[in-house]
Amino acid sequence: MPDSDNDSGGPSNAGGELSSPREQDRFLPIANVSRIMKKALPANAKISKDAKETVQECVSEFISFITGEASDKCQREKRKTINGDDLLWAMTTLGFEDYVEPLKHYLHKFREIEGERAAASAGASGSQQQQQQGELPRGAANAAGYAGYGAPGSGGMMMMMMGQPMYGGSQPQQQPPPPQPPQQQQQHQQHHMAIGGRGGFGQQGGGGGSSSSSGLGRQDRA
Amino acid sequence: MEPKSTTPPPPPVMGAPIAYPPPPGAAYPAGPYVHAPAAALYPPPPLPPAPPSSQQGAAAAHQQQLFWAEQYREIEATTDFKNHNLPLARIKKIMKADEDVRMIAAEAPVVFSRACEMFILELTHRGWAHAEENKRRTLQKSDIAAAVARTEVFDFLVDIVPRDEAKDADSAAMGAAGIPHPAAGLPAADPMGYYYVQPQ
Repeated sequence: MPDSDNDSGGPSNAGGELSSPREQDRFLPIANVSRIMKKALPANAKISKDAKETVQECVSEFISFITGEASDKCQREKRKTINGDDLLWAMTTLGFEDYVEPLKHYLHKFREIEGERAAASAGASGSQQQQQQGELPRGAANAAGYAGYGAPGSGGMMMMMMGQPMYGGSQPQQQPPPPQPPQQQQQHQQHHMAIGGRGGFGQQGGGGGSSSSSGLGRQDRA
Repeated sequence: MEPKSTTPPPPPVMGAPIAYPPPPGAAYPAGPYVHAPAAALYPPPPLPPAPPSSQQGAAAAHQQQLFWAEQYREIEATTDFKNHNLPLARIKKIMKADEDVRMIAAEAPVVFSRACEMFILELTHRGWAHAEENKRRTLQKSDIAAAVARTEVFDFLVDIVPRDEAKDADSAAMGAAGIPHPAAGLPAADPMGYYYVQPQ
């Protein structure tokens, strides 16, 4: 397989907080990491800068850990290119079995879309393709909104691709709330409360009285 | 024994009629990519099997199932692979820091962008459990250290988190929760639960 750059729109400059460019390259941008961390916490939780930086380092170590194992496998099999399946194999070997099944679906979907993209580019001009691709982010953002997670992140990245500042990322509270998410919120609330009831999570319900899902919290703010 | 009701049908039945019919055009704009056939090709997968519960209660295992079900829903909702929560170029640079790594397929950073998100979510969840045990609302470095110390799969991170941090975190954790040793398992309140506690 060819070694190709499939980069998203330019990486965020949020990593600029780190000292030197080389240092910055060793970690993922702290703003992206922080945004994902917030999705895992109650809305009123705070994250210290130390914790963000520690998770930044842990993620880089995770990438190196998995990549090293995948690279060893490729060398044993006399292959030069690390592909998605090698990474999934390495995760299984290193104890991250839970991650592999969802990622298989993700990879499957990516490969399908890559195939479609190749076919589309064969039959369309570059500019048209660019415009068409430009339309998709909106749909993706909406779809992510329905899923209840990742909408702010998708919005931010979409804005970056369009050459606009990370409005969603830097000033989330100024974003006007879209009309559809409230319905989705209600659905999610009813659905999950029902599951909680069936599962006998009485204590969870009580504990929830003082906090709410970070996902929904972000939706409210967005 | 707690009744485990893992029913895949309810989510699509509840979500489909109300959430999607009104804005189908807006949600899925016309374009070169046909998404409906893709959805038809592989229907939503069944809930993943429960992880081994040797160190977790039934409630925690159930919440884990819900967590992974949510991951599947998010992945199914992904229609565009250009908008990643993490920059692919940076992921690739980190991969290439290893001198033995020669060529990287385009799909590899894409897989990592999702895997790293899962990793961050899990690490943060487990760290938050420790913060709650200490009755704090701010996640600290020591909470991450405690999560690393308690979770076997995170052993590769012991060099990243200073030992003093881990030691202090462990002592505090054991003192607070009465856990006899670090590998005793998750605290009483599983952090994954926050995905599904939604008061209004």
